[in-house]
Amino acid sequence: MVDHDGDEDRIRSVRSFAEMCSEMFIKDFMTKDLVTISENDSIDQILETFDKYHFHTYPVVSEDNVLVGTIDQNIILKILLVHRAPRIEHTHLNAVVFQGDTAKTIMIPHPISISPNETLCDTADMILKHKIDRFCIVEDGKLVGMICKPDIIKEVYKLRGLY
Amino acid sequence: MEILLHILLILLLAKLFGEVLERAGFPSILGELLSGMVLGILLIHQESDILKFLAEMGAIFLLFTAGYKEVHLRDLKESSAKASVVTVVQVIVAFSFGAAIGVYFHLSVLESIFIGVAFSPTSIGVVVRTLIDMDYLSSKPGSMMLTSAIFDDIIGIFLLSIVVTMATYEQFPSGVQVLIILLKMVAFVAIMFSLRKWVFSKLFDQIHRMHVKESIFAFVIVIALFSAYLAEVFGLHAVIGAFIGGVMLSDVPHAKIEHVQSKVTGLAYGIFVPIFFAFIGISLNIATLQTIGLFSVLVVVLALLGKLIGGFLGSRLIGFDNYDSLIFGVGVMPRAGVELVLISIGKEMGIIGDEVFSAIVLMVAVSIFVSPVLLKKAIQFKNRANSNNT
Repeated sequence: MVDHDGDEDRIRSVRSFAEMCSEMFIKDFMTKDLVTISENDSIDQILETFDKYHFHTYPVVSEDNVLVGTIDQNIILKILLVHRAPRIEHTHLNAVVFQGDTAKTIMIPHPISISPNETLCDTADMILKHKIDRFCIVEDGKLVGMICKPDIIKEVYKLRGLY
Repeated sequence: MEILLHILLILLLAKLFGEVLERAGFPSILGELLSGMVLGILLIHQESDILKFLAEMGAIFLLFTAGYKEVHLRDLKESSAKASVVTVVQVIVAFSFGAAIGVYFHLSVLESIFIGVAFSPTSIGVVVRTLIDMDYLSSKPGSMMLTSAIFDDIIGIFLLSIVVTMATYEQFPSGVQVLIILLKMVAFVAIMFSLRKWVFSKLFDQIHRMHVKESIFAFVIVIALFSAYLAEVFGLHAVIGAFIGGVMLSDVPHAKIEHVQSKVTGLAYGIFVPIFFAFIGISLNIATLQTIGLFSVLVVVLALLGKLIGGFLGSRLIGFDNYDSLIFGVGVMPRAGVELVLISIGKEMGIIGDEVFSAIVLMVAVSIFVSPVLLKKAIQFKNRANSNNT
């Protein structure tokens, strides 16, 4: 015998999850208290930041808090291991990064950003679809927060009543 | 389906020979050229249309990825002023040396100019290892080399567009025709800049929300092909369009997602670019190489000297001392990818003959071998002189 009542409950709960997920906005659970790197910070200052905190990626901002790029652990590792870099890494752009002396010369200058009004569902979709682990959140060009994969997982867990 | 076997063997040998050369401390491009030469002798005696098409795609994707991954408009703007003098001087001297060879050997005006254009670009990647090893990447000449190398590639690509259009007129163009060529170039670049400013960012904002698989990757490729096609419509060459299309996408965040970049690079360097380099190896006329005469020797020597002297003079003009100027001149000697794209177009359009083609491929190979060694010597020369003075 088919348990139709159980199916309906499940469909209802799936629907309600999808609805709730689409009604939750990133601004409600993004990290607002950010550690940022200034675009004019020296390499030593950046290394200090990486030593003091243990985030994977830091947003780079201009004096008026406009998001101009990101610096992640991969860039730092590349710079630290410059003498061991394989030939495939000897591109013009990498050479420019290797010889850079401030944040703006070594950062990735085209950061992916989303609006604080992006929904939880859409953000989760983008993370899965494009294999992106974190987003900078920008409003009117200014950095207002960050969100990373664990934050999304935590919120989805909460919604599903598993947290 | 013999072509399947050919492609399979090209990719297999290109990667194997490339690996051997990499391990020996040289760029894999030499291995890829060699794989083509070997296959050209042993198996692929006739260039099929499919192979030719794939090689053309290789040239398009080589320049597209160069623009897409290696150029940042912001960096270009910032460094244009400081590098312009030294770049223009070294390009003018290198170009003149190339054109002079053509005139000396009574080649046609177009062929002579083409040799000059092929002498103009620099492949800085060849000497980056030496700069790192000698701790010279951040030095004054090191940093100038990096900036100048991008500019002389761009100048080379624009010179190419002029020569290509000249070739279509089949004669030296009149003043009006030169003006039309320049107007077409300006119109093409203006359209691409407008697309970048008003269309590309908005387009990718929508594309990344699409549900179909690989939407961003597909649209990056669409724009690569669109730019190449539009350039042809404007009477420029497809590779020029691909390069400019790549530059226009280089700061569009969604088009530059790491995941997408690695797929574009995979398509380019995993398939098309090795086929392009191998195709050059296949197209090499071994008989011509066997009779290396005064012409080939002069091409090699003057191509290297042109950059050395041009680089030296340019650096002196902007205030470098003799040692730094020498280091800069040696550092801009190497040639690789862009030069090979230029000469393959020249050969395909019938601008240059087998002898010029083979001599320039030989020049590329020699420059890759000797530039790192000479750069090391130049840096050691400066260090010795400094320690003697102190």
